[in-house]
Amino acid sequence: MTDSGVHAVEELSMRQSFAPDSDLAFLQDFCVPFLVGAQNQDGGWGFQRSGESRVEPTCWSLLALRNAPGGVATDTFASGRQYLLAAQLRDGSWPASREETRGSWVTSLACSVLSVEEQCTAAVSAGLQWLCRDFPRDSSPFRLFVRRFFSSDSYSAHDDSLRGWGWTPRTSSWVEPTAFALLALRDAASACMPRDASARQQLAVELLYDRMCPGGGWNCGNPMVYGVPGEPLVLSTSWALLALRDYPSHEKKSAGLAWLRNSYPQITSPGSRAVAKIALQAYGAGVADNASSLSMLLDQCNHHQTVHVIAWTCLALNPQRAWFPPCKGAA
Amino acid sequence: MNYRNQQLIPCFQRPPSRVVIRRASTYRQDLTALILESLRVYQLPVLGKSVLLKANLVGLDPLGVMNTHPAVIAATREAFLRLGASAVFVGDGPAMDRDTFAILESVKLKDFTGPVGGFFRDLNLDDVNRVPLPTRASRLKELYLPRTVLGVDFLVSVAKLKTHHWAGVTLSLKNMFGIVPGACYGWPKNVLHWAGIDNSILDINAAARPDFAIIDGIVGMEGNGPIQGWPKPAGVLILGDDPVAVDATACRVMGLRPEAVRYLAKAGTLLGNLQAARIEQVGEKIESVHTQFSVLEEFRHLAT
Repeated sequence: MTDSGVHAVEELSMRQSFAPDSDLAFLQDFCVPFLVGAQNQDGGWGFQRSGESRVEPTCWSLLALRNAPGGVATDTFASGRQYLLAAQLRDGSWPASREETRGSWVTSLACSVLSVEEQCTAAVSAGLQWLCRDFPRDSSPFRLFVRRFFSSDSYSAHDDSLRGWGWTPRTSSWVEPTAFALLALRDAASACMPRDASARQQLAVELLYDRMCPGGGWNCGNPMVYGVPGEPLVLSTSWALLALRDYPSHEKKSAGLAWLRNSYPQITSPGSRAVAKIALQAYGAGVADNASSLSMLLDQCNHHQTVHVIAWTCLALNPQRAWFPPCKGAA
Repeated sequence: MNYRNQQLIPCFQRPPSRVVIRRASTYRQDLTALILESLRVYQLPVLGKSVLLKANLVGLDPLGVMNTHPAVIAATREAFLRLGASAVFVGDGPAMDRDTFAILESVKLKDFTGPVGGFFRDLNLDDVNRVPLPTRASRLKELYLPRTVLGVDFLVSVAKLKTHHWAGVTLSLKNMFGIVPGACYGWPKNVLHWAGIDNSILDINAAARPDFAIIDGIVGMEGNGPIQGWPKPAGVLILGDDPVAVDATACRVMGLRPEAVRYLAKAGTLLGNLQAARIEQVGEKIESVHTQFSVLEEFRHLAT
């Protein structure tokens, strides 16, 4: 961690109540220095300030800094990009941690972040190919055939024929990795798109709607367990809404948005608050808080000032962001 | 890296275990004194050592029925500090919701412990090391586990007394699912389900066997646990240095047969004592605190 990062952290922890004049001041005085200072020598970021570099926090940091206002050194981006390219596995995927030899859901994040870099076309293309080759095992034709004879509907009530993406290869479809894969495919240049991408996108969108909790909102992907409705969660709902942002209106999308809007005032953690704010603003929904409320939440969870949460905050507080900019229209 | 208790001992070579059962009717009583008194039964080697309390924090829980109650976590932490531990961390890697801070806020842990910044570890986001699995009961050959778990001197599973809709019961051994990091395996840690829950529990506990187990049964959960069940006051704390014996005793308190819980039956071959004859009860007798827990139809066979 560099001196500027240490300084930013110390400054925040010394203040009982951080009340910047504006979102921009908080971004420039705390969030950006924190992220810049948290970059490791290898170009990546860890979840914690001194943690080992991982693909996920690296992706969120690069996305946040790329969208941040003013003067982040180009070296920061270049070394971050190099870290990601070096971390890519031979099969095109990215692993969640350094020693792992199998790809995971973070492949979607890496593809999203590298999609804007011209020199990364081959890496993104390989990553998307890997994503589209990975089919969850729970919805394989064999499993569906077997389930016709042996399964009861008492456990869950969702449509097993729909296929999204899992957290790890050859497991089950879940809401968040499906949302991240949809975002990766959304962000990719057409030259990078696998042939079957549009079919996978269509199935994944149907899966997200199928997995919505009764009454609106999403959790990890269990809308009903043994006849009991699942409780929606803020982060899952926010990612699902962002992934569905560019798709046609749907009553379930509206229900999810309504749930998030109603839940927003009760959100007590900065990570969830930041991502929910991005999602609501992307749909043109008014969000009545500013840097003060987000910084106060960050203050309260000093120990949880993890890199990805600061990156999400950085994005949420920047009205000029290019990544899911606030929409002026009504939700 | 500190690989504690890696050796697996066949049940016929394992010495008998002692399990302490304490009555505790409310979270408002002096739990620190109760837990401290129980820990002293074991003369634990924690003086000057680092301790990790692996709590069970599964989700947003404003009513305090699905997670290890913060009063138990705080009292356990205080008790280990009074025993001379150099540092007592609390950690978990919640399985369904990656916003661990939101869960901590919902359970109000800081109201019981003070600011949690210095000692709480989000195991989902910890740096990891590759750990080969000594038992290979599941198809997994290795897991990436948090360095905090691997590095502490003394690991304590601080679980909740609950039924579980897939495993039958979730106690101190099943609680160890939470050390598997979500940042590697997702929310939920679905790869463990595909590898087989029962065998995964065995593999995880063989790789990082708790040195001590404490089960919060003051208010447990019955029915469709571990999240959607109903509160079940049982008024007990169950503690011991053999997590299998502690879980077996907890099952008996719940009116369930530990031998019929598949993962416990397997754990009883290598990880600890399952048979009642091999477990010395200290404190309350099982019969005096027995509280019948209801289970889903699929687990009716567990009931005694």
